[in-house]
Amino acid sequence: MTRVNLIHAALLGALGAGLVGCQGNRSDVPPVHLIQNMDFQKRFDPQESNDFFRARDCADEVAAEDAAVAEAVAKGEHPPLVERTCWARAMRPPPFGTVAVGHLKDDDHLHRGRGTDGRLADSLPRAIELSEALMKRGEQRYNIYCQPCHDYTGGGQGIATLRGGGFKIQPPSYHIDRLRAMPLGYFYEVITNGKGTMGSYAAQIPAEDRWAIAVWVRTLQVSRTKGGK
Amino acid sequence: MPAIFPRWTNNIPLVVALAGPVVGAGLVGGVWYFFSPKFTDVGYRPVQPVPFSHKLHAGDMGMDCRYCHNTVERAAHAAIPATQTCMNCHKDLVKTDSPKLKLIRDSYESDQPVPWIRVHQLPDYAYFDHRPHLAAGVGCASCHGRIDQMAVVQMSQPLSMGWCLDCHRDPEPNLRPLDQITNMAWDSALEKYDPKADSARVRAVNPPEHCSGCHR
Ligand code: HEC
Ligand code: HEC
Ligand code: HEC
Ligand code: HEC
Ligand code: HEC
Ligand code: HEC
Repeated sequence: MTRVNLIHAALLGALGAGLVGCQGNRSDVPPVHLIQNMDFQKRFDPQESNDFFRARDCADEVAAEDAAVAEAVAKGEHPPLVERTCWARAMRPPPFGTVAVGHLKDDDHLHRGRGTDGRLADSLPRAIELSEALMKRGEQRYNIYCQPCHDYTGGGQGIATLRGGGFKIQPPSYHIDRLRAMPLGYFYEVITNGKGTMGSYAAQIPAEDRWAIAVWVRTLQVSRTKGGK
Repeated sequence: MPAIFPRWTNNIPLVVALAGPVVGAGLVGGVWYFFSPKFTDVGYRPVQPVPFSHKLHAGDMGMDCRYCHNTVERAAHAAIPATQTCMNCHKDLVKTDSPKLKLIRDSYESDQPVPWIRVHQLPDYAYFDHRPHLAAGVGCASCHGRIDQMAVVQMSQPLSMGWCLDCHRDPEPNLRPLDQITNMAWDSALEKYDPKADSARVRAVNPPEHCSGCHR
């Protein structure tokens, strides 16, 4: 009698363990916090949402929710559960036109690639010095941000352009006469503001790195005209 | 006079003596196995609002992690990319009207964030910063696993305090050359890398083991 019970208990235990799974099993159930302690504090992490600003950021959705609730209440029904599609940012985007201290970007050469005469500059800004380290940095950053489309040598045959049916517009090779003749500042400007179907990379790449990349693009060009080819 | 205790009660001490340790060991074992973050956290794989695949973008196309997570070397937080980043390719160039990307296009137009679901999250009382780890040459793969093979991101490490300390007490086997941090395929067993002999390193790494290092 007791032996049978023990066997039952063991089987039940094994079944239970089987049902809850093993360590490392895939699951879309959020991790259980067995002891809450102070795991989630009343503060906001980067990129989290904050309901405080919903009335402002999601005015349309909030108005629709309120109307639905008012209607249900008028009919004496339970307020409906509405699925949210709009979330307000805890990190507030600054009001349009705000300039943070030290970010005025008043150095035309460094930030716009233009000399005092307003034309595209063909030299590095004074704050940046041409060195091996700068070129290495440029190569690395180029391979991160440009290579997927423009490929390692600047031929315009990057791997992203060859997949999913191909790009609608193929990036040009850097080794065409028109681009060879462009001043250094032109490449800086294309990275900063984009060009045609190519987007702006100003938000992804800091200004110093954009100059390093421009130097690397020029290096790629030179490698095909002098010595190379 | 009838017996107060029926005869079967004679078995109680024996059953307790036999079953007690088994049940006790089962409880301890169960807590050890099932209450561990290796059980509660590893393998967490939420369904994201957009079926974005790291396997396609980072694996097959070999895009560098920093193309999208571009703040990872500059800030504590490895930002989830802005919609603009996806639109670099998906606005005019490729898969421009894929239904899978509808939410991304909506977000681009309305300037509302995409509600990505967070996968990795430390408790709020623990302090973590990506910068020193990347500057010391710890690869993404050491903490996030082979992201380039995941169609859906999942947690591959427990992110528990014991896990942090295991590495902090002996970081050397987890270090790699500073230009290989985003290389998912880099394998320490094959490379025989010695951080002490690497001239690109200016100082020896010194991860904190004192409590205030991570609980500030
Ligand atoms: C998402 C793919 C993509 C990425 C990444 C990309 N580009 Fe482009 N690039 C293009 C396309 C497409 C064009 C052609 C644009 C057009 O003519 O509409 C282009 C054009 C250019 C041109 C030529 C502009 C002209 O006058 O014709 C330059 C220079 C250039 N890109 C530099 C860069 C640099 C430097 C980077 C890295 C910071 C970069 N690109 C990253 C897709 C990309
Ligand atoms: C094309 C852009 C892109 C590239 C390249 C990319 N990621 Fe991501 N990553 C995303 C997006 C979008 C998310 C959020 C959605 C998700 O979790 O799938 C994300 C999420 C993640 C997360 C989970 C974040 C969380 O919520 O905890 C990790 C970890 C991660 N990426 C690591 C990497 C690593 C490592 C690489 C390089 C191998 C990489 N990513 C390359 C776009 C990218
Ligand atoms: C460098 C260019 C590039 C960037 C940046 C990029 N993608 Fe893609 N994506 C592609 C290409 C190319 C394909 C098609 C691949 C194929 O089908 O082989 C694709 C395919 C997809 C698909 C599958 C579409 C379908 O209909 O099959 C989704 C979803 C997607 N990307 C989401 C994203 C998201 C989200 C981001 C931003 C975090 C992003 N992509 C950033 C190049 C890019
Ligand atoms: C030393 C371990 C470690 C390394 C190395 C590491 N991460 Fe993380 N990562 C974490 C932890 C821990 C979190 C959770 C942070 C939190 O909750 O505050 C995280 C979170 C993230 C997130 C979610 C956003 C955030 O910051 O919370 C992304 C995206 C991410 N990592 C990408 C990367 C990429 C890309 C790399 C490589 C360039 C990388 N990580 C290297 C441990 C690491
Ligand atoms: C794979 C190895 C590894 C893992 C896992 C790891 N770390 Fe580290 N951590 C390091 C190394 C190496 C350093 C030393 C950096 C240096 O000395 O330059 C470091 C440094 C730190 C620092 C000091 C940063 C500073 O500003 O001085 C903190 C804080 C930290 N880690 C927190 C964590 C936390 C929290 C976790 C777990 C979620 C974690 N680490 C997991 C390797 C690791
Ligand atoms: C390398 C970073 C690191 C160091 C050093 C560290 N901790 Fe932690 N600690 C963590 C992390 C990360 C967690 C969260 C673990 C989790 O999510 O399960 C944690 C969790 C804890 C908890 C658990 C809270 C709970 O309810 O689960 C306690 C208590 C704690 N730490 C105390 C300490 C003490 C005491 C020390 C010094 C001896 C210390 N820690 C040193 C990273 C660290």
